[in-house]
Amino acid sequence: MRRWMVATALMVAAGGVRAEPCNTAAFEPCRACHALTRDAGQKPGPQLAGLVGRKVAGDPAFDYSPALRGARDKGDVWTRDRLEQFLADPEAMYPGQWMGSPPIRDARRRADLLCVLGGR
Amino acid sequence: MRRRHLLALSASALAAPALITQPARAAVETREQHGYRIRTYNVRPGSGSRDVACNADGTVWFCGQRDGTLNLLDPRDGGLKVVNLGPGAAPHGVVIGPDGAAWVTEGGQNAIARVDPKDHRVQLWKLNGGPSYANLNTLVFDKQGTLWFTGQGGVIGRFEPVTEKMQVWDAPRGYGPYGIALTPQGTIWYVSLAGNYLAEIDRSTGAPRIVEPPTPQQGARRVWSDSRGRLWISEWNSGNVSMHDPANGGWKTWKLPGEKPRCYSVYVDDRDVAWLTDFAANAIVRFDPATETFLSFPSDKSGANVRQMAGRPGEAWGGESGTNRIVVIDKPLA
Repeated sequence: MRRWMVATALMVAAGGVRAEPCNTAAFEPCRACHALTRDAGQKPGPQLAGLVGRKVAGDPAFDYSPALRGARDKGDVWTRDRLEQFLADPEAMYPGQWMGSPPIRDARRRADLLCVLGGR
Repeated sequence: MRRRHLLALSASALAAPALITQPARAAVETREQHGYRIRTYNVRPGSGSRDVACNADGTVWFCGQRDGTLNLLDPRDGGLKVVNLGPGAAPHGVVIGPDGAAWVTEGGQNAIARVDPKDHRVQLWKLNGGPSYANLNTLVFDKQGTLWFTGQGGVIGRFEPVTEKMQVWDAPRGYGPYGIALTPQGTIWYVSLAGNYLAEIDRSTGAPRIVEPPTPQQGARRVWSDSRGRLWISEWNSGNVSMHDPANGGWKTWKLPGEKPRCYSVYVDDRDVAWLTDFAANAIVRFDPATETFLSFPSDKSGANVRQMAGRPGEAWGGESGTNRIVVIDKPLA
């Protein structure tokens, strides 16, 4: 037990990993358009399964905006940092992208959402 | 049976945030296409100019969803007044109420907002007791002066300005309620983007009656009534515009031009012509039901993303959310 606690503490210290579970409520506003699984069927927006580490515009079943297709062609990948910057103001990062969500100005909300999206 | 989500009386409007009006001026550019005049107003960088509403005096309100503002454009001189809606504001939809005020689905504060037409004072009524974030979307007044609204988080609701009574209900199929419209007969209809349906709301009980569009998984995003009470629907997933006639239960559907259109919004003008927006084509598309023909007006800038249109006789207005411009198309008489 003590060994497990030490290991967890070391992980947290080394990688900034949150020990507590994600606040899944952070994803609620996104559910109107997005799913976190690949088999959720057609949604208004792309599925976000395994988003962190995935190529931008990486859902093969979704026809993305030219803005995001251009980013993908350029080699952009959804790193945790890129995703956080995107959530803070999607339009500033990729002008003309189709998602209509406003900027998430609250850092805690972005962190919670990043946790759910796999960035922890 | 649907669970009544909230029956709450907002005792009073919240204290109005300090009114901030920043006088500014929007530069206008004019071009012509298909014999129509297209004017674009460079309103404010970073505003995310989107839903619009036209005042009787010629001015136009538009939502700055990205910077939490409601803005008043005077097309005659490009004059611009900016009203800050409060901390965390992210307004989505705007309509002109019977009192002449601008009424707003203020999603950022989970509230209905009213901006006074004279002094631009802001009043807010929060959805107390309901979901903490309903993702408020679109609103419309009925003929009795009741405000009806949708929330993409899965709610529909109504607000009585006179008594300040607000009611919110869970929508069928959960997430998705988006556009909402009033017909000349006085009925209220809305569509659900994620729920893929059209519904009429019973105005006495708030209960929706679903009418299934003929195209499965069509992604019904916005709805507008023509002069006969027929409902025109923009379908995001299918790329269709469809029309439902409640008088006979019939449907008609047309695919927009192009390989994979993305039909985002619909507005029906005073001549019963449908003005659509297609994100894939980066265009406003005019559809004439009489000839069943489309006329496309691509933007002169990439990623224009017009998310809603409205208008007045002879003028079709929209907000280019991706370019921070307001656009109007008209056909001046020679």
